Amino acid sequence: MHLTRWRYPGLVIIAALLFAASALPAEASDEGRFEIRNAYVEMLGGAWQLDVRLDLGLSEAARQAFDEGVPLTLMLEVEATTARRFLPDETVVSLTKEWQLAYDAIADRYVVTDPVTGEHVSHATRAEALDALAHISKLQFADTTQLPTGGRFEMRVRASVEIGDLPTAIKVLLFWKSWSRSTDWYVWSVRP
Amino acid sequence: MTRRWLPVAVGIGIVVWVAALALLAVTGEGSQRFGQLQPWILLINIAGVIVLLALIGSRLTDFIRDWRRRVPGSRLRGRTILMFGGLAVAPLLLVFTFSVLFLTRGIDSWFHAEVREGLSDALGLSRAALDLRMREVLERTQRIADDLSNLGGSSLYAALDDHLRLAGADELIVTNSGGQPEAYSTSGMQHGLPGTQPEELLQQVRQGSPYVSLEPLSGGGYRIRAATRIGAAQSLQGSRLLVATYPVPQRLADLAATVQNAYQQYGRLSFLREPLKLSFVLTLSLVLLMALLAALYGALFFSQRLVRPVQDLIAGTRAVAKGDFDTRLSMPSHDEIGYLVTSFNDMTKKLARAREETERSQAAVEGERAALAVILARLTSGVISLEPDLRVRVANHAAGNILGVEFDQAAGQPLAELAARHPLLGQLHAVMQRHLEAGESEWREQVTLRSDAGRRELVCACTALPGDAGVPGGLVIVFDEVTQLLQAQRQAAWGEVARRLAHEIRNPLTPIQLSAERMRRKLFRGLQPAEAEILDRSTQTIVQQVEAMKQMVAAFSEYAKAPEMQLSEFDMNALIRQVSDLYHAQDPRVAFGLSLDPRAATLEADPGRIRQLLNNLLTNAVEALDGRENPVIMIETKRAGDQIVLNVIDNGPGFQGGLIEQAFDPYVTSKPKGTGLGLAIVRRIVEEHGGQVELENVPQGGARICITLPAASRELRRADARRERA
Repeated sequence: MHLTRWRYPGLVIIAALLFAASALPAEASDEGRFEIRNAYVEMLGGAWQLDVRLDLGLSEAARQAFDEGVPLTLMLEVEATTARRFLPDETVVSLTKEWQLAYDAIADRYVVTDPVTGEHVSHATRAEALDALAHISKLQFADTTQLPTGGRFEMRVRASVEIGDLPTAIKVLLFWKSWSRSTDWYVWSVRP
Repeated sequence: MTRRWLPVAVGIGIVVWVAALALLAVTGEGSQRFGQLQPWILLINIAGVIVLLALIGSRLTDFIRDWRRRVPGSRLRGRTILMFGGLAVAPLLLVFTFSVLFLTRGIDSWFHAEVREGLSDALGLSRAALDLRMREVLERTQRIADDLSNLGGSSLYAALDDHLRLAGADELIVTNSGGQPEAYSTSGMQHGLPGTQPEELLQQVRQGSPYVSLEPLSGGGYRIRAATRIGAAQSLQGSRLLVATYPVPQRLADLAATVQNAYQQYGRLSFLREPLKLSFVLTLSLVLLMALLAALYGALFFSQRLVRPVQDLIAGTRAVAKGDFDTRLSMPSHDEIGYLVTSFNDMTKKLARAREETERSQAAVEGERAALAVILARLTSGVISLEPDLRVRVANHAAGNILGVEFDQAAGQPLAELAARHPLLGQLHAVMQRHLEAGESEWREQVTLRSDAGRRELVCACTALPGDAGVPGGLVIVFDEVTQLLQAQRQAAWGEVARRLAHEIRNPLTPIQLSAERMRRKLFRGLQPAEAEILDRSTQTIVQQVEAMKQMVAAFSEYAKAPEMQLSEFDMNALIRQVSDLYHAQDPRVAFGLSLDPRAATLEADPGRIRQLLNNLLTNAVEALDGRENPVIMIETKRAGDQIVLNVIDNGPGFQGGLIEQAFDPYVTSKPKGTGLGLAIVRRIVEEHGGQVELENVPQGGARICITLPAASRELRRADARRERA
């Protein structure tokens, strides 16, 4: 019997690594739901505005990091594409919007900050802060020059939460830890 | 090209790697800066590891291939790699272990309980100070709300402005129960309409509790927001709210912000505590791996550099062992190995020079040997060279001819074996053995060899050859056959005797004869008959004897005289027939058997002398057959190349005793009345014609005389020339 003698040890090692890699998302899936519940756009005041509702469940690592004082970053990726005849779809709008959630120990409040505008909103509880982040309203992402009112286009939105303000090297070295979570793309068509 | 740029690339790689390590050392104390640089450091190290792995793989493949092929020097290289690798790995592992230990303990030291407690206490202190401030602000707001409970319209605005100024608030807002502003007053720092109030504020105030909170500002710092119901309305419907915001004193705000930042940073570090340790350990491991690989590559590289001269030396030694003395090694360095290589090159140079000299000497020896062989082959003297154990080393053609031995295949054979098969050589060997047994390695002697063909006189000289390093070199025997020379000397002596006899005896003979005749003539008549008879008989005897002496003197004169040769071509066979017929007619009892080769008919010689030769031979043969039954004389001629061979064979008694050895000497005869000049004249005539004569006894009885004459005069003249030279 030669069953105990590995004939292809390299293949065995690769298979083990693949198995370990496949096990990592399974660990993440045990945590809170993180997905886009619904999203829609509307034309208001000559600009396209986006409303998104999220189920913003944090991973264990994110919760632990946040509790220790590490801020979290919510990133929303927005894309609008128009169909073209005989050609691939054209991405007309591509926007990335970030919000940072941090805990202020002195004020004992949870602060949501827009890094671009500097808009600063504090909440008494983490749940309120997360709820505020989960309701994104009136996000202006395009104007009529980019997306004409009468035209048809396809929207897609994806959200991700990262444990912010961590050294990149640590993220690279400890790549197997869940430093971020992303939702799937939420896609819908906009018709006149 | 690649070999030339490889050290440059390796050098650049090492510099970059060392720079990365220096950055690591410089930025190690600050995790933030380290975090910015660490990806580059990691990238450099990973690239270095990949490059080093490729280089090591290449060199290791070469080394394993050499090891398996048992290339000279591969074992030494293996030991060198192990030694270098071991020397490098052990301290590296030691340093790594202690570095990891110190690193983890250093990081752990950041998170002592005292630090955490200190931070917590600072945070609590800050909160307490701010809480006190918030309580004061809330009470102030409640007092303002009490003052405003009965006011409305423009008086409300005026009151708000007064209270804003007196209370040091940033903003005072009177809202309805839904939070919508009805009147407000702001300091110069505030612009625009007030916004909606937070839901939590409205809910808390609706529930009847005053609201106060500390709000962080976007630009840093804090403000206090306080809210309370104006008046004592029982229900919220229709009631108004006073919302006031107050600044936090700058000093307090700065201190609070510092504490907040420290607390947040500490929490962040606390969260990163294990990842940081793991990250540092991984980085150090990567550096260690890099250093190990560099050490391994260095071991492979320098072992090859170290072993290459040795490999070159081994290859050079093998080449020299195969006879390639032109091998030259390049100088690797000026150390001991370089000295060794220089010595090796000097050695090969000297060997090459020695080989050239040896080849030259060998060529000279070969040339001399060839010349000696030619000389030996042309020598008329016999030369035999012997090994110390008396085996034949070499012998020339003349030695073979003289001794009747074929020496062509005799090299290496013991002389005793050859001597046993060849009688003449056997006699010479016996003489040599006698001298050797007497301890004489150098001797000179005239040796007489006897055979059926007659006696041969040799003048021998033996000399010991010089040997090497005490080993005897053998012997060389040189000998000349002087038989003919001695015979010629004897012949010349006898010719001189004959001439003197003819001269000294012939002269007095005539006076003796004349005196005897005159004495008889004068005295005969005057004597008595008896006396006259005596005188007559005596004088007659004297005259007869004188006459006989005259005939003898004439014969000697004839022998001594050598008239000029009269060469001409004639039919020898016909001459033989004439002479044999003549003798057969004189004595019919003797039978003549002729076997005459037509090819031997024409002979260029002096026919008169050849006739005399035949006469002498047949006279001897007929006289030898006197009294024999069935006397037969056989005469044969045959052609042998350029020679004509004449055999005269009789069935007589042959030569008796030692007579055969002296048969050609003058005055040697077995006949009572012979002069002994017959065969001597035969020999002289044969030699005058450049021929040879031999005689032997026939085993069946009788004698055989064999005469070899050159067929043409060319050989004859050449023989004359040789004779003259002699």
